[in-house]
Amino acid sequence: MSGGTATVENPVEKKLREEAKRLLADKKVDVIVGYEAGTLPLTATPCFITAPEEADKLVWNPCCTQNLAKFVHDLLSQHHEAQKRVKPEAKRKKTVGVVARGCTTRSLIIHLQEKQYGRDEVVILGVPCGGYVDNRKLAALAGGEEIREGAIDGSEVVVKTAKGNRKAPLGELLADCCLTCRFNEPVLADVETGKGTPVAAADKEYEPVGAFENLPAEERWAYFEREMAKCIRCTACRNVCPSCYCRICFADQSQPRWVDIGENASDTQLFQLMRMYHMVGRCVDCGSCTAVCPMGVDLRKFLKKLDKDARDLFGHRAGVSLEEPAPLGTYKETDKEEFIFNPGGGGH
Amino acid sequence: MEKRLIKKESLAGVIAELAGKMRVCAPMQAEDQVLFRVLEPSERPLVDFANTKNAPKNFLFPRTETLLKYTRTPKGMVAAGGAEEGMKTLFFGCRPCDARSFKLLDMLFDQEKYQDPYYIDKRAKTTVVAMACVHPPYTTCFCTSVGGNPTDSEGADVLLTDLGDQYLAEFITPKGEELLAAFGGTPAGVEAEKAKEGIAAQASSEIASTVPAREAKPVLDVRFEDPFWSTLHQKCLACGTCTYLCPTCHCFDISDEVKRNDGIRIRNWDSCMFPLFTKETSGHNPRPSQKERWRQRVMHKFRYYVDNFNAIACVGCGRCVMACPVNMDIRKIVADIVKL
Repeated sequence: MSGGTATVENPVEKKLREEAKRLLADKKVDVIVGYEAGTLPLTATPCFITAPEEADKLVWNPCCTQNLAKFVHDLLSQHHEAQKRVKPEAKRKKTVGVVARGCTTRSLIIHLQEKQYGRDEVVILGVPCGGYVDNRKLAALAGGEEIREGAIDGSEVVVKTAKGNRKAPLGELLADCCLTCRFNEPVLADVETGKGTPVAAADKEYEPVGAFENLPAEERWAYFEREMAKCIRCTACRNVCPSCYCRICFADQSQPRWVDIGENASDTQLFQLMRMYHMVGRCVDCGSCTAVCPMGVDLRKFLKKLDKDARDLFGHRAGVSLEEPAPLGTYKETDKEEFIFNPGGGGH
Repeated sequence: MEKRLIKKESLAGVIAELAGKMRVCAPMQAEDQVLFRVLEPSERPLVDFANTKNAPKNFLFPRTETLLKYTRTPKGMVAAGGAEEGMKTLFFGCRPCDARSFKLLDMLFDQEKYQDPYYIDKRAKTTVVAMACVHPPYTTCFCTSVGGNPTDSEGADVLLTDLGDQYLAEFITPKGEELLAAFGGTPAGVEAEKAKEGIAAQASSEIASTVPAREAKPVLDVRFEDPFWSTLHQKCLACGTCTYLCPTCHCFDISDEVKRNDGIRIRNWDSCMFPLFTKETSGHNPRPSQKERWRQRVMHKFRYYVDNFNAIACVGCGRCVMACPVNMDIRKIVADIVKL
C-alpha cells in the first residue's frame, strides 16, 4: 500500500516541514492542514498535524490537488460553534496553520473579507505552485489501466501499469485551471517556502469561455443539460469548495424542500445553478470541484463564465486583495445593470 | 452441476443475442470508463475488462424507484398505481466480489423479519453470469480478506472462467441451467477442472492487499467512544461517492414528490455520508457530524452486519478506495482500527 512520489530534490518540501515543525513546537498553531502522501500511487491527501514530529509526513508536489482553505473554514467554524457553549473565562483561541498555494490564499482572503474568522486565527504557510496533475489526464495516460506505480521526476511523469510503462511531460497532465493560472505565488503568506515559476499562458485565461459565450443560446443550454445529466448529486463539488460554506445548504433543507432527492433532471440543474450563482466574484478557479467530481462534469466552464462576468462587469478578481470589496457585497451607483434590463442584449 | 467449454469468440455474441430476448445488464465502455448498464438488443458487451466503475446493485435496488402513485381528488387520496413489476434480467460479467454482494443484500432485504417486495421481485427474476478474476484486476482488491475469492461462484448462477483458449462455464443453479441452450458449447472434462484449480490457486495468491477485516469486529465492539473517531473523518468531504459505488451499501430514504394532484412515493439511495442521513422530523439528528457518520459507516460494515447476519458488509472490490476524492482508504482505516 505504498504510494507517494519519488521526486528529485524538493527544497520547498524541506523548508515546509521545518517551518511546520517550528510553528507546532513554538505553539504558534494548534493544527496544520497540509498534504501527505496518499495510499495510491501519484496521490496526495489532506492531513491534519498537531505534533511537531508529524511534520515530516508533509509533502508538496504536483499531486497535491485540493484547495485546503475549505478545511480551515471547517476547523474554525466548528471551534467558534463549540466556544459558544464555554464560559467566558474558559474561552480559548484556536489557530490553524495551512499549506497554501496561490489559489488557496485567494480563498483565505475571501474568508477574511467575508468575516469568517480573524487574520490572527490563521497562519499561512505559502508554497509556490507550478500546477497540479489532473487525475483524468493521468488516467488517460495510463490508457484506462490501473496505475500500479508512478513517479514524477522533474518535468516528466512515469506510470507503471500491468501493460507496461508510459510517460508524459508534466505540463501535459496539469489541470486546465493551472494552465492559465497567474497566481503561482501565494497572494498572502506568513511563512514563505520558496519561489515558483510563472505559467506563461495566463493571458489565455478566458479564451475557452469566450468561445462558449459566442455559441447560440440553444447550444449553450444543450451543453448545460448534457453536463448536468452526468451529475449524481453527491455534492462533492459543493463540499470541497472553500466558498461554499453555508451552515445549512438550501439543497439540504427539508422544510421546505427546495430540491427533491429523486433523479429528476430539473432538480439537479437547479442545485447546480443555485450553487454557481453564489460563486460570482467568489470563485478562485482552484479547480477542486472539477477534480473531485466522480462523474467528470464540466463545472469549470460555467464557473469561469461567472468569473469572467465579475471581471467584465465589476472589474473584480476574486480574493486578490483584503481591501477590494467583493461585487456581491457592495453597491455602487455606477454598477452596470444592462444585464438586468436587457438580459439578451449584453451577451451575459 | 453442468460444466461446458465455450469458445472465446462466441461469448459476446451469445450475450448480444440474449439481449434481444430479455433485459441484459453488462459492462460497456462509456467515454473513459467502464459502466454496468442495460444493453440494447444485439449490443455486444465487453468481455475483457477490469471491473465496472458502478456496482450492479442499481438494477436490484435502484437509485430511485417508485413504490406507489396516488392522486388527490375531492374525496381524498386515491391510489393510482404501485411499483413497476421487475422484468426478466440477466447480469453478465459481474466479478465474483459483485456476485457475492447479492448474497449480502439478500440477507437484509429477504429475511425472516423483513421481506422487501421490491428487491425480492427483481432478484427472483435476475440470473447472474459472473466472470472469475483469473488475474485480480486491481492492486486495491481485497476480496480474500472479507470472505470472498477471485474465482468463487457465491451469488452467481453461472460462473465463467477464462482458461486461455476458451471459457469454462459452470452452471451452478437451476436458474443458470436455463441458459444451457443459449450458451451451447461442449461438455467440460477433468482437464478443464484441473486447469481451473490451478488458475484459482494462482488468482488468490495474486491478491495484493490484505485487510484485517475479521479482527476489526472485537475492537469495534468496545471502541464506540474511542478518540480515533474524532480525527478519522477530518478530511472526508461528505460526498457519498463511496456509498454510491459500494456494491453492498443499501441505506435508503423514502420521499413523496407531488406535482399538482399527482404524487409518487419514491425510495432513493441514502448515504451515511450526507448531513440529512438519519435526520429526524423534529430536526434532531443523532448523528450530527461527520464523526458519527463515519463511525456508522465502519460499524455498519464490520460490526453490526456481523452481529445481525454473521457476515462483513464489504466484498473487497476496492471501488471506494479508488474513487474517493480525498483518499479515505478503508484498507488503512480497518488496519488502524485493529491497532487501537
